[in-house]
Amino acid sequence: MSDYLMEMKGIVKAFDGVRALNGIDIKIKAGECIGLCGENGAGKSTLMKVLSAVYPYGSWEGEILWEGKPLMASSVRDTEAAGIVIIHQELMLVPELSVAENIFMGHELTLPGGRMNYPAMYRRASELMQELNMPDINVALPVMNYGGGHQQLVEIAKALNKKARLLILDEPSSSLTSSEIVVLLGIIRDLKAKGVACVYISHKLDEVAAICDTVAVIRDGRHIATTPMDEMNIDRIITQMVGRELTALYPKQEHAIGERVLDVRHVTCYDVDNPQRKRVDDVSFSLRKGEILGIAGLVGAGRTELVSALFGSYPGRYEAEVWIEGERADTRSPRKSIRQGLCMVPEDRKRHGIVPDLSVGQNITLAVLDDFSRYTRIDSAAELKTVGDEIARLQLKTASPHLPITSLSGGNQQKAVLSKMLLARPRILILDEPTRGVDVGAKAEIYRLIAELARQGVAIIMVSSEMAEVLSISDRVLVMGEGVLRGNFINKDLTQEAVLAAAINPQARADGDSPASDAAGAHEHMEFI
Amino acid sequence: MKNINFKQLFSQYKLMALLIAIAIIWAFFSWETEGGFVSARNLSNLLRQMSVTGILACGMVLVIIAGEIDLSVGSLLGLLGGVAAVLDVTRGMPLPLSLSIVMVMGLALGLFNGYLTAYLRIPSFIVGLGGMLAFRGILLGVTGGQTIAPVSSGMVYLGQGYLSAGVGSSVGIALFMIAVLLTWRQRTNRAQHGLPVAPMWRAVARILIIGLVLSGFVRTLNSYDGIPVPVLLLLALLGLFSYIASQTVFGRRIYSVGSNMEATRLSGVNVKAVKLWIFGIMGTMCALAGLVNTARLAAGSPSAGTSGELDAIAACFIGGTSMRGGSGTVYGALIGALVMASLDNGMSMLDVDTFWQMIVKGSILILAVWVDVSTRSGR
Repeated sequence: MSDYLMEMKGIVKAFDGVRALNGIDIKIKAGECIGLCGENGAGKSTLMKVLSAVYPYGSWEGEILWEGKPLMASSVRDTEAAGIVIIHQELMLVPELSVAENIFMGHELTLPGGRMNYPAMYRRASELMQELNMPDINVALPVMNYGGGHQQLVEIAKALNKKARLLILDEPSSSLTSSEIVVLLGIIRDLKAKGVACVYISHKLDEVAAICDTVAVIRDGRHIATTPMDEMNIDRIITQMVGRELTALYPKQEHAIGERVLDVRHVTCYDVDNPQRKRVDDVSFSLRKGEILGIAGLVGAGRTELVSALFGSYPGRYEAEVWIEGERADTRSPRKSIRQGLCMVPEDRKRHGIVPDLSVGQNITLAVLDDFSRYTRIDSAAELKTVGDEIARLQLKTASPHLPITSLSGGNQQKAVLSKMLLARPRILILDEPTRGVDVGAKAEIYRLIAELARQGVAIIMVSSEMAEVLSISDRVLVMGEGVLRGNFINKDLTQEAVLAAAINPQARADGDSPASDAAGAHEHMEFI
Repeated sequence: MKNINFKQLFSQYKLMALLIAIAIIWAFFSWETEGGFVSARNLSNLLRQMSVTGILACGMVLVIIAGEIDLSVGSLLGLLGGVAAVLDVTRGMPLPLSLSIVMVMGLALGLFNGYLTAYLRIPSFIVGLGGMLAFRGILLGVTGGQTIAPVSSGMVYLGQGYLSAGVGSSVGIALFMIAVLLTWRQRTNRAQHGLPVAPMWRAVARILIIGLVLSGFVRTLNSYDGIPVPVLLLLALLGLFSYIASQTVFGRRIYSVGSNMEATRLSGVNVKAVKLWIFGIMGTMCALAGLVNTARLAAGSPSAGTSGELDAIAACFIGGTSMRGGSGTVYGALIGALVMASLDNGMSMLDVDTFWQMIVKGSILILAVWVDVSTRSGR
């Protein structure tokens, strides 16, 4: 009998020949909590999907031993039967159903004839709540009556009800307030004492340091190290996470930075589902002509929310004051923003970028169609001419502008979406994850284009999760964490470590002004800061 | 592999497939009726019968392309037709005045539906369902449940009149000239912008085919009583709506709103206004259809237009409009209406029981959409 509850050996998982995981070994004992750390895209989620058989046995290489015996699970059902339960970052609860009904979802206790055995379910659910030291929760009330923290508990209770012996928590605290996090960590300690093993995935390294016995760091799909927490501290974890030296993948172009063109004051965004919670909390910054401003931060830091509030497309309630070239600008809708030269290429290309039933050309001209119309009639020849020029300028690879946009590769779709916004002649261009899901070749062309635009005087805000990208092409980097601005760095000798340290430091606060030394920038509203 | 090729071929030549379907239906009925079905007299009848559904389908196809639905059009058609009869018969208003009142009412009620859908964000299905009941109720109130007749001869002409042979021929020639002009303009325009121009023989062949179809159409109808007025109206609408859908900014926006509303909004398009006006157009089409319907019956009936919305929606779907929104054509919807009208007409000629007619029409709708769904390249 092995000492370990679970051992993963040499796990390799490839997507279309690209190795997302490249030989990972993780071991865990009963009652142990292991922290799994890595940058965005390092392979943490993929690894957990392998472990929980979201990717079934056989679709990856390597071996998983469960209590010393090989585990060959073909579905989540099998791993749950063994006792491996994953709690996803997004809660999987039905808000309208009661706490007990959610806990027993899919495993309902029934009476003859398929009737729900409510008394038994309520009794068992109450017992689970006792175990979690939460006797106050009324298990007959709908889940939506409780806040995010308690809902997280319901998820854990659901897992315990499945007799979980290994609990995987994927960013469990990303939607919790700090007092709720304290409760969550207390519960994990209790579970450990009862012999339940945990895998704790979090960007919040202070939580990892507080709760975990061991830390495993992965980077670019490789296992870097597994170390007992006693021998580690947060700085060391960061060093392991970042690891590599910045290579000169992205040549930087010199360009002049001009006058202040954008001032953003007091942006606050409230969560769509939980209006008490702030996704962005009072962020202010400014931007100059020809400046490339990178916005870095970990997933859930509020970067996308911040830029979509500027552009007027944030779905929930928000407040924002925007000045363009010193004048107060109304950017409460994308339409108004685009008219004033504030354009955005959104993060989610499929949902917010492309219009799938239109052709490549029709997608490109969508925002500026009025320019090609005389008495509302589209001058299709003039339109095609512009589209042809754009396709050549962006080196967009398509056999014909009449092809459906969905027939293009991700990189070329992104170029089309970019081109759509460029035709609107932006003064300020927001790029939210401009190279996500884009192949290397197209990436380089997009960087070249960004540099070229900056040289022409366009002010650029680039949100990116790829640290290397941010550090390579930005003039200045804002760092966000948990909805607040935690750093504002001129990109000179700036290191990934410094950015990451700021992103996870809960004490850090920064103002986001462009520090270039010209008096023209000092407008009246500067008094606000 | 062969299967995939067939699918591609099919979706590329959807129009062809529809025309072949019509040819089969017509051939079947002609054979069964020993040529009676394709007589000039019956074809003229058939086209008049499809005109009301066709007018509705012109508006409905835009609504469906934009990703919405309007279930109130049958009742709205009935209401506006009833109002037209009341104004004409009971009030004795001059024709131009009552026509304008009805058209403006149609536009206003359509915009109202659009406002509820686009700005108050009530799902269009519900808005339509409510309108279906409410408009029918208003109609019953306005007419007191009575048929209102006889309408003036001027109004009757709208539904039952024919163009004289001379006028009909001139219309045909005018349409032909427009086709030639458009083809020529497209060619010069493309040449001006340095874009590749299709070879001359293709343009000539296209014009020749258009000419043959047009002359056949005009000759057939002239050999009976001439082109019926509602058919002329439908032709005009076909031209107008095809132009709107394919050539105008508004038309492009209808497709993009239906295909991905969020991406369209983020591109700076006022998506609510687009939806509002689509419903406005739909209301106006209800007014036209209501007028033609009242004129055809020479009376305003409280049951007029019952289940008209279903015929119009079925016509759109048979004509290849996607139910997700984002794709579809006006001519497709009209061909769909022609399929429905041909089935109605042919089965009536063969004295098929009404219950069979309903079963057949329902099955054809489902069959047509199944073929469409299964040949859509895997998305």
